[in-house]
Amino acid sequence: MTSTMNHDYTIDIVEEELQLTLDQLCRACRAHEELVRVWVVEGVLTPIGESPPEWRFTGTSLRRARLALTLTRELEINAPGVALALDLMDEIDALKARLRTVT
Amino acid sequence: MKFQDYYQTLGVARDASPDDIKRAYRKLARKYHPDVSKEPDAEARFKQIGEASEVLQDPEKRAAYDAVGSQQGGGSGDFQPPPGWDTGFEFSGRGDEGLGAQDHSDFFEALFGRAARGMGAQRRTMHMPGQDHHAKVLIDLEDAYRGAQRSVSLRMPVLDAEGRGVLQERTLAINIPKGIREGQHLRLAGQGGPGLGDAAAGDLFLEIEFNTHRLYRVVGRDVYVDLPLAPWEAALGASVAVPTPDGEVELTIPPGSAAGRKLRLKGKGIPGSAAGDFYAVLTIALPPAGSDTAKHAYAALKAAAPDFDPRASLKG
Repeated sequence: MTSTMNHDYTIDIVEEELQLTLDQLCRACRAHEELVRVWVVEGVLTPIGESPPEWRFTGTSLRRARLALTLTRELEINAPGVALALDLMDEIDALKARLRTVT
Repeated sequence: MKFQDYYQTLGVARDASPDDIKRAYRKLARKYHPDVSKEPDAEARFKQIGEASEVLQDPEKRAAYDAVGSQQGGGSGDFQPPPGWDTGFEFSGRGDEGLGAQDHSDFFEALFGRAARGMGAQRRTMHMPGQDHHAKVLIDLEDAYRGAQRSVSLRMPVLDAEGRGVLQERTLAINIPKGIREGQHLRLAGQGGPGLGDAAAGDLFLEIEFNTHRLYRVVGRDVYVDLPLAPWEAALGASVAVPTPDGEVELTIPPGSAAGRKLRLKGKGIPGSAAGDFYAVLTIALPPAGSDTAKHAYAALKAAAPDFDPRASLKG
């Protein structure tokens, strides 16, 4: 669903309508390509497609990549550490969501 | 302009070694990182910490800051940089400052703003796509049900006619699409940083966050509400009015409903091609046994259920 506003720009819902190439993802989260490749190897991001030129990242990868970048830059965590931190954050989110269903 | 005591921000002494400063920064950064921290002012604190470490971890900037700080006497009162204070200092600037540059305090801009402007001028002849920008928008759950229009004010670094970096405030009217969920992002094509030369402008990404709701809890597409019942409503069944973000609905409570039971209203969660569900989580509210009549009623209930053991599940 793409809608045009009273100004001449379009609004997309990233998570539902976008698939990003490696280049687009790097630009959107301001990470170097090399770093993104390492994240894919470490399982931080899981693109569709076999090789880097064919990689397509879903919109949810964008939030993950941005988080990964702040953890890397500001806390100087290495790639396996970032993967672990993101997995733990996912788990915390899932637990919080479960908590919200009961009280 | 307020003088920023960067040493105090990081909790280190004025003669702290680079290692001490780094250690103090790491510790505070972990504590106040907005993605990790539970502190209410985490984001603001994190920015202050980042700015302090950016200055104190850079030998050039630290020397310049110390020179100004000694004239200031370390006080925290009103601050104006002394005229010509920066002669003799030349800032190389960091290559990756990006959007973060707009988050600096006025104090930082007054001292170090020049470096970023110099860089902008050098890069003018290049053709470089504009940077993508990111911001958050707070909306109400009701906005996700109906769609809404929001004005978002953004401060963006742009290059003026002389190639200097300046902060420009602009307001965008944004249509929040119906069915949006928390944590999703809107992409506004071409509304990010301007491109250099002939290159295209970057995009603006807005992350959607919901205000905490007095009644409802949101899990993805699904919405939950606690629904208190009188004991007789739960035991005998009833028809009760339940508020939903879409308006009040009449809900049938089956006889023999226990506390904790979830009654689902299919498709009454956040709308969309795969609409979420609305759940009423039953709780039982007990009427007080204040009057003699109420006491007699409870006693009669006890007499009517001689074999009822509320703690049967605790027994081996």
